Amino acid sequence: MGTVGNEQSSPNAISTTSGLQAVVAMVRVRWLRPVALYGFTLWAMLTINFLLPRAMPGDPLLALVDQESQSFVRDENVRQRLAQYYGLDQPVWRQYLAYIGHLAHGDLGWSISQRAPVLKLISIHLPWTLLLMIPSVALSTALSLIAGVNAGWVRGSVLDRGLVSLFVISSTIPAFLIGLFLLLVFSVRFGWLPLAGAYTPFRLYHGVLDQFSDVLSHLTLPMVSLTLTMLGRDFLLARSSMITVLGEEFMLVARGKGLSERALKYRHGLRNALLPVVTRFALQIGTAVTGVVLIESLFAYPGMGRLMFNAVTARDYPLIEGCFLIAGLAVLVANIVADMSYAWLDPRTRRDA
Amino acid sequence: MTETAARWSTVAHQEQPETKVRLRFPRLFWLGLVILLLYGIIGLFAPVLAPHDPAAFDGKPLEYPSANHLLGTNDIGQDLLSEIIFGARVSLLVGITASAVSVVIATLLATIAAYMGGWIDAALMRVTDLLIIIPRLPLMILLAAYAGASLATTILVIGLLGWPQLARVVRAQVLSLRRRPHVNAARLFGASAPYVIRRHLIPALLPILAAGFVTHAGHAAMMEAGLAFLGLGDPTMKSWGLTIRYALNVKGFFFGDQWLWWILPAGFNLAMLLMAFAFVGIGLEAVANPRIRRHR
Amino acid sequence: MLEIRDLHVHYHPAADDTSARPVRALDGVSLRVEHGEALGIIGESGSGKTTLALALMGLVRGARVHGEVYLHGQRLPLTDEASMRQWRWLRIALSFQSAGSAFDPVYTIGEQVVEPIRTHLRFSREAAIARARDLLRQVGLPAERFDHYPHQLSGGEKQRAMIAMALSCDPELLILDEPTAGLDVLTRAALVDLVLRLRERTRMAMIVIAHDLGDIARLCDRTAVLYAGRMLEIGSTTEILDDPAHPYTWGLVNAYPLITRTKDLWGIRGLAPDPADPPRGCRFQPRCTQSIEECCQKVPSLGEPAAAYGKNQRLVACHRGGLLTMLSVDGLRKVYRCRGRQTVEAVRNATIQIREGEVVGLVGESGSGKSTLARLIVGLEAPDAGSVRFEGEELAGRRLSELARRRIQLIFQDPYEALSPRLTVMELIREPLDIQRIGSRRDREDRVREVLAAVNLPTQPAFLGRYTDGLSGGQLQRIAVARALVLQPKLIIADEPVSMLDASESAKLIRLLKRLQNERGMAMLFISHELALVRKVADRIAVMRNGEIVEFRPSHLVLSAPRHPYTQSLIAASQALLAPMPMTLVSDERSLVHS
Repeated sequence: MGTVGNEQSSPNAISTTSGLQAVVAMVRVRWLRPVALYGFTLWAMLTINFLLPRAMPGDPLLALVDQESQSFVRDENVRQRLAQYYGLDQPVWRQYLAYIGHLAHGDLGWSISQRAPVLKLISIHLPWTLLLMIPSVALSTALSLIAGVNAGWVRGSVLDRGLVSLFVISSTIPAFLIGLFLLLVFSVRFGWLPLAGAYTPFRLYHGVLDQFSDVLSHLTLPMVSLTLTMLGRDFLLARSSMITVLGEEFMLVARGKGLSERALKYRHGLRNALLPVVTRFALQIGTAVTGVVLIESLFAYPGMGRLMFNAVTARDYPLIEGCFLIAGLAVLVANIVADMSYAWLDPRTRRDA
Repeated sequence: MTETAARWSTVAHQEQPETKVRLRFPRLFWLGLVILLLYGIIGLFAPVLAPHDPAAFDGKPLEYPSANHLLGTNDIGQDLLSEIIFGARVSLLVGITASAVSVVIATLLATIAAYMGGWIDAALMRVTDLLIIIPRLPLMILLAAYAGASLATTILVIGLLGWPQLARVVRAQVLSLRRRPHVNAARLFGASAPYVIRRHLIPALLPILAAGFVTHAGHAAMMEAGLAFLGLGDPTMKSWGLTIRYALNVKGFFFGDQWLWWILPAGFNLAMLLMAFAFVGIGLEAVANPRIRRHR
Repeated sequence: MLEIRDLHVHYHPAADDTSARPVRALDGVSLRVEHGEALGIIGESGSGKTTLALALMGLVRGARVHGEVYLHGQRLPLTDEASMRQWRWLRIALSFQSAGSAFDPVYTIGEQVVEPIRTHLRFSREAAIARARDLLRQVGLPAERFDHYPHQLSGGEKQRAMIAMALSCDPELLILDEPTAGLDVLTRAALVDLVLRLRERTRMAMIVIAHDLGDIARLCDRTAVLYAGRMLEIGSTTEILDDPAHPYTWGLVNAYPLITRTKDLWGIRGLAPDPADPPRGCRFQPRCTQSIEECCQKVPSLGEPAAAYGKNQRLVACHRGGLLTMLSVDGLRKVYRCRGRQTVEAVRNATIQIREGEVVGLVGESGSGKSTLARLIVGLEAPDAGSVRFEGEELAGRRLSELARRRIQLIFQDPYEALSPRLTVMELIREPLDIQRIGSRRDREDRVREVLAAVNLPTQPAFLGRYTDGLSGGQLQRIAVARALVLQPKLIIADEPVSMLDASESAKLIRLLKRLQNERGMAMLFISHELALVRKVADRIAVMRNGEIVEFRPSHLVLSAPRHPYTQSLIAASQALLAPMPMTLVSDERSLVHS
């Protein structure tokens, strides 16, 4: 909240007397509404998670403990844990309270297929996903901005039209096809990169560098796949927002001031084109999550996506629910980060409502 | 006129009437349409076109392509070419049906929200925002896992979660249309809401709905392939995604080169179909929204 | 110092748009600006003013630019972006029209003013900031604005910041594009003061583009008039505004709302031409009231105006040398003999001119000779001395039946008397056509219906066939007007046309006359003793007293600053009638209750 100081010194901002009042006012205006929205979203996700199985015809949860059903859990131990966690003999509202209570304590249930607490499994798999997702998102964003800005700059040229065609096509192809294609070419055909996994199993490493390079070589194909999946839509968005910015009056003025092409393109163009890109970040992260699930499944990469994939195969409900929650949480966090970035990027939002 | 020239001449106070939108579809649109029609025919006449019944085990497993089986067989001896041909059916069926579901829901909700205004509108908008933030595939996975894997489930799951974005667009359009003078004039003449909707709104909305429908159909087909790939699709309907999944499930699959005629055709066709949907969707969008057309 | 030679800016349509033609934003403009001079450029929206500004900066995109521009003898590389960059801001700067959106919203004002300083002048960061702060102070912005973002400034402040930014590199030429557009009156005045002070201090050459004539009047030494991409007139500002030569300039200046101007606002009839399809020949011709055959064929080039205008380096682009004087009355004299020796000099040395498309109001008390003057002009009486020239031809002494007379029509004071009670409406209005034997009977009747519609009277046979018996004064006067219109006159003389009508009918008739005059491009001599009425329609007012014209000036000047003592007393007398009524008959109880 480094902008508090600025607000106090400029007379145009909050017309309150004391500094404390200013802070309180700003908190109320700037933070309460998004917090309320995201809090509501979080609550909605939890509740959907809760209600979904219970609202389904054929009550899948009860089926777990029903001897007649297909998904009957044979292991007595596990079955008891499940019954206790879900509280299947309790009325619904009590189940809900118990559910919220469990979540508050970090208890996400017990995985049927892997016989371990869900939270523990998540804590093992999540870092791999982050290792995959964060560089991919960063790379896709950076590349798309540079390409999009330049494409928008030379709009209509051969280069621009070529890039647009290329990325329109690439944005329609699902993540697993892109991954599949890369897999077929680089791994199967040429054997340059490993087929699956995050590291070579049972391998003894000769040191940190060796381990690092092994992980890296396994990371390459999934990361490139994910980046390419997101690049299409990111590029088109960056390009179109650049084109919008270029049509603004202040760009003409900047050119009139005799500034260099570089200053126009980046200092004024890119800087303003960033804003819609950041605004749409929520949707982009959604694409990333979808891509992660599919790509990890394809490459048997031991991240959250693969975890969810295995859970689905095994109809392991507690684990599926846990993964869903984490995925939703990740998107929420990304949204919050995006909102904060936007507030920092666009001075117009710093003003009092 | 170039954009600058157009801007200049509005400054000159010219009373230029709104010229009719020139229906000039980009070339890619026609290409996409042809491809879609092609797949449509293939899907429709699949039983006639396919040399074998895809479920019949009439070949040896993992055969190479031969005169009898042009693409060889899969790991349990089923003809791959027939699988691919029937796969078109599934993708098209799911794509179109799920998209129809989405479009209907989106239009209904958006029109109600825009017309009622007030808290109904606010509530619906919150729900829309919510669904946009919550990641789609995990939610679909959740739903599909609970609901069981069947064609109906797949269609419903994809359709029920695909409406938010289109709803936003439709709502914005309805809101702006409501304010147009010709709609207000109709209301002054005593027109009821259903009449206004039927006579003024729907014709104006049709282009957007058409574009949205086609684009969504593409997304739906993509989602279906993804779900099938993950094992949540209907196991009895051999969609292309499912074909790929089965291929990858075979142990030691990549030691041979069957992937050339098993995975590649499925992947290629899927990509083609999705691209066709995208091209047609973009072409329709360009006509529906002239503002976007100028940006390209 | 700045010389523009035959500048053309044509926007060519997109390659796939085969039906469109190039938009000719500027079509051959040439002018010079001397060192230390401020040149104003006026014209309607779309006339090419902003295009000119952008063209000088080399900022027109997607258009073909022909012609040459020289600054201090050096030629501007208008089409070469890389070279132009070194000229921009450093040697020519532009204060853009929409200051509201001229600033990048994500950087502070200070940063954006510093930017060109560092780019062109290569100052260090501290020096540039200091200079920027100083500039902002000079334009009257409070110091903290330096760190503020554009959205935190008001419209007027942004305009000032824009000017400060334009001055940042000390350009040789400063172009101000609509510096006061959209600002309120007080802010506007403050901004003009600011620019004047800057001019005094820096003595740089300036081009001020505006459609607000008040700003131009205060800021500029010379003014050029732009219309549809061409320059129509250029000369000293006072002359252009007080005595416009070109018909368009005249129309523009007269449409401008001055606080002292009491007449209603009427624009120039017609529309500005389509820039993609301009008329051949003079661009203004379709709207001009004095166009001739040549105007439709050949483009007029800038040349000296007709002799009637001052020669003070004024140039006009008009085949007729500027706005013509349609009627010129010089030293007219009429003496009546009555009862033997007694003579009454009804009109004595009357001199008056009426220009094309103009409304001249003639005021004076009863017996001042107004009506006699009217009758002399029309030819109902012959003058004893002096001349009446109409469109160059001498009318005095010519016979009434001659052709030239047709073009001047008179509307009498008393409608009951002016229209024969024995003729039907149709016959009354058709009469001039019948007399002159114009067209077939069918044609004449069509023409009658047309003018009746123009004066808002019914055209059904029932009305056409009735006699004037029973019609109101207002309706009768309209019939008289219709009758006057039927011969398509160039000049209408209305002699006390509303003195016999009530206030409502009077208002309607005056509006009707003015509208017809404007639409049909006629001139009008409006005679009345009622100054309050005349000032609503007159462009110039002539005051008549004892047969002489004692004052004849633009109406807003006559009313706000009358020179002749008689005029002053007339105005004073009219204003006395406006004194508030004394409050009587308000009892104390009532006022207590209501207070």
